[in-house]
Amino acid sequence: MTRISLKVTGAQGQGVNSVGELCAKGLKRAGYCVFGYREYNSVIKGGHSSYQLDVSSEQVRSSEELVDILVCFNHHGLEQNVLEVKDGGIILHQSPDWEFPTDIRKTLEKRNVSVVCLPTDAFLKQLKAPSILGNILITSVVWTLIDCDQETLREMVQEQFGHKGEKLVTLNFATIDLAQKWAKKEGIRAMWKGKLPVADTKWSKQLLLTGSEAMGLGIVHAGCRLYAGYPMTPSSPLLTYIADIQNETGMAIKQAEDEITAIQFVSGAMHMGTRAMTGTSGGGFDLMTETISMNGMIENPCVVLLAQRPGPATGLPTWTGQGDLMLAIHSGHGEFARCVISVSDSDDAFTLMNDAFNIAEEYQTPVIVMTDKHIAEGIYTQQPYGSEIRDGTSAHPFLGAVIRRGRLITKPAELKKLTSAYRYDPASKDGISPRWLPGSEAATYVAQGDEHRADGSVDESSKNAIEQMEKRMKKLEAMKEKLSEPTVSGYFASEQRHLSNSEKLEDLIEILIVGWGSSKGVIEDVLADERFHGKVAYLHYTYLWPFKTERLKTLIMKAKKVVLIEGNVTAQLGMLIRQETGVDIADKILKYDGRPFFYNELLQAITSRL
Amino acid sequence: MGASAPRPLPIRFMSIKLETTGQNPTMHDYLSDNKCTWCDGCGDYGIWTAVKRALVELGLAPWQVLLCYDVGCHGNGSDKIGGYRFHGLHGRVLPFAAGASLANRYVPVMAFGGDGASFSEGIGHLVHSIRSNYPVTFVLHNNANYGLTTGQASSLTWQDQKMNTAPNGMPEHTLNSMDFVFSLQPTFVARGFSGNIPQMVEIFKAAIKHRGFAYVDILQECPTYNKFATHDYLLARCYQVENHDASDFKKARELAVDTSEKIATGILYQNEEIPDFYERLVPRQGKMTQLVDEVQIQDVGGLMKAFI
Repeated sequence: MTRISLKVTGAQGQGVNSVGELCAKGLKRAGYCVFGYREYNSVIKGGHSSYQLDVSSEQVRSSEELVDILVCFNHHGLEQNVLEVKDGGIILHQSPDWEFPTDIRKTLEKRNVSVVCLPTDAFLKQLKAPSILGNILITSVVWTLIDCDQETLREMVQEQFGHKGEKLVTLNFATIDLAQKWAKKEGIRAMWKGKLPVADTKWSKQLLLTGSEAMGLGIVHAGCRLYAGYPMTPSSPLLTYIADIQNETGMAIKQAEDEITAIQFVSGAMHMGTRAMTGTSGGGFDLMTETISMNGMIENPCVVLLAQRPGPATGLPTWTGQGDLMLAIHSGHGEFARCVISVSDSDDAFTLMNDAFNIAEEYQTPVIVMTDKHIAEGIYTQQPYGSEIRDGTSAHPFLGAVIRRGRLITKPAELKKLTSAYRYDPASKDGISPRWLPGSEAATYVAQGDEHRADGSVDESSKNAIEQMEKRMKKLEAMKEKLSEPTVSGYFASEQRHLSNSEKLEDLIEILIVGWGSSKGVIEDVLADERFHGKVAYLHYTYLWPFKTERLKTLIMKAKKVVLIEGNVTAQLGMLIRQETGVDIADKILKYDGRPFFYNELLQAITSRL
Repeated sequence: MGASAPRPLPIRFMSIKLETTGQNPTMHDYLSDNKCTWCDGCGDYGIWTAVKRALVELGLAPWQVLLCYDVGCHGNGSDKIGGYRFHGLHGRVLPFAAGASLANRYVPVMAFGGDGASFSEGIGHLVHSIRSNYPVTFVLHNNANYGLTTGQASSLTWQDQKMNTAPNGMPEHTLNSMDFVFSLQPTFVARGFSGNIPQMVEIFKAAIKHRGFAYVDILQECPTYNKFATHDYLLARCYQVENHDASDFKKARELAVDTSEKIATGILYQNEEIPDFYERLVPRQGKMTQLVDEVQIQDVGGLMKAFI
């Protein structure tokens, strides 16, 4: 795969995100797959931040450690990111008096890295333009550098500022012209030794969105009508997005006074019979766990998004990690059935939302949907959801999302037949009993947090305690049977990216990688490298509890080596595998510095194991 | 401004009337086979009876209401009454009730909580429920101690009272609950006494019909652990307010806060001019359906355009 990368750095609030977004959108429209990765600190203004775009004409869902083009808004980027440029790369900055220390200068020369200073302040003065226009100026220079169509840039300016009046648009256009003229005169294009691969128009019409926006669309699509949350990175972007679109969706949005309120609010709304959801991160999730236990007991469906960041305590609030798997699986006191699933990219960020609601309603139990900062704030190029329904062409996997509500009784004739003791009837084979809603003309019951008998009346007898505990736990077995096995991907004889089952892998596999969550994107990008074709397969866990083991066991038998890849220090998926299968995966690639796995990093790690 | 100002009935009350089957519910409909487990003389008996009576007099059948119970002695009544009921976590009943009330406004939601849960662990929820003006009726079972955990001091226990875990008397001063509640700009405040069932019936009926969040403080005896505000003490001091203008916030606050000599009971304050939380949600304006009616696959084609 030919890929290039571009990194914009600067102080938070300086326009790094605007330039990053503009470039990302423009590149996508020009026919490239773009993956965006942001790094920033937990401050509002001043902290050093970056916005990296990895670009290819093939699918790319990972970031490189070294970049082709480094754009520095201020001198901090020149200090901190200067050695992150590839050989033959270019640094574009706007600090006129900047001098590199001798050793750095020599290194850059040796690596054939060009350094160019854009006289932003002088140009803005010349144009009588406010400093915000500096964003367009620098974007336009980058545009020339990567040989992109300047018309696309003008279109986007028109879209973004058109409603603010012609004067501003004209000023933007003048800025673009000046930047281009300068870039041509300086011969900027020739200073970068690399080039973009040939564009592929299939990307132009795709969506460019964050994982949070993908989840938001999925939540709306799933018929969720109420969302309650308390701000906490990295779950906040979802709350913001879903609040921003409330007038279009008609949803009820509640910014709660704390996470306990958010989940109780959602539990009440779900109990009444709508679909409702909350999202949070580590500390907020800790507060929610008592209510998760409550919903397990009263057999109330509920969906909670757990967006991970590295802990403990406040930890690294704006960075990524996968350290909360065991927290999710063991959250809440007492023993009860729950389901834990994990988003891994913008595809399942959408599809898993309806899936989570379906599981919650079918099994009348809490579902915890995990994600992390890398997905929540990662920027994906994504085929429009449900596009096969709209244009009848592609065979996209989102065909026919269906709402399943399990044993929810709403028909008057069926409601009439109910007695209170149907609600928690322990005689049901799979532990799932009829559920009906307040306001239904039927016998009533108590959704009871104390141990209860079939109608919800408190019953502390030994016989009843056993019956009801076993009834609830039977749901876990029923769920386990229905949930999908982990998916396998890799390039084997059939050249398919995703193999639907392990039986297709008839030969021995050199290396079997096992993982979950956001590392899927980078692992699959790495596996696209020809060196791994026919040799390395990736087993990806989406459904993490109850834990499916059949496919894992089959593949482990076929693999010469098994490698676990996780973004945590204790190898939590590995612990789970050991607990459920007795197999200990000794070879682990673990990362817990708040950064995602980078492309080159894993490429090297897997190559060394061949 | 006043309770008598003309305005449309809140949708939830109006729709209840439309929904009733014509068969008037009776006290018998709310009967439970489970035996009450409260102490002899407990104020919960009176409140329990008045709640049933109020629902019957409003023409509400058990299937039409949701009664939400916190954890405490009163919560042990969750399976001693008819109706759709919920018995959840200590201190957390209000946000559950609020979420439920927004999902289906055809179902009136009552929440019950003790003074222990509501003024300690769950006090934040009380603050924001009043502030948000959720369409919920909240009944405070106020026996001024933690009964179910065998008589510890709550923040409404009188200072210096010797309680379980406070053998030298409770060191903290007592929280003035009514002053606190009035500081939050409530839209409905009433006080009752568990020994006066007819009065409670009238208060509950008005509270359920109220447009937003109704705060109902019921002073109740705890014959086992409360040795200071006893049944006789409350009986001697509680009086029904007469000729009181419930739209007068200042006067209502004075009546509510000062309990040094006599204790004013009845509907102390009501303002129905303030929209409830749901009514203030812009996306819900003009919607004829309830959130519970809208669970279906929604087309996101329009929303996706922003990302092309």
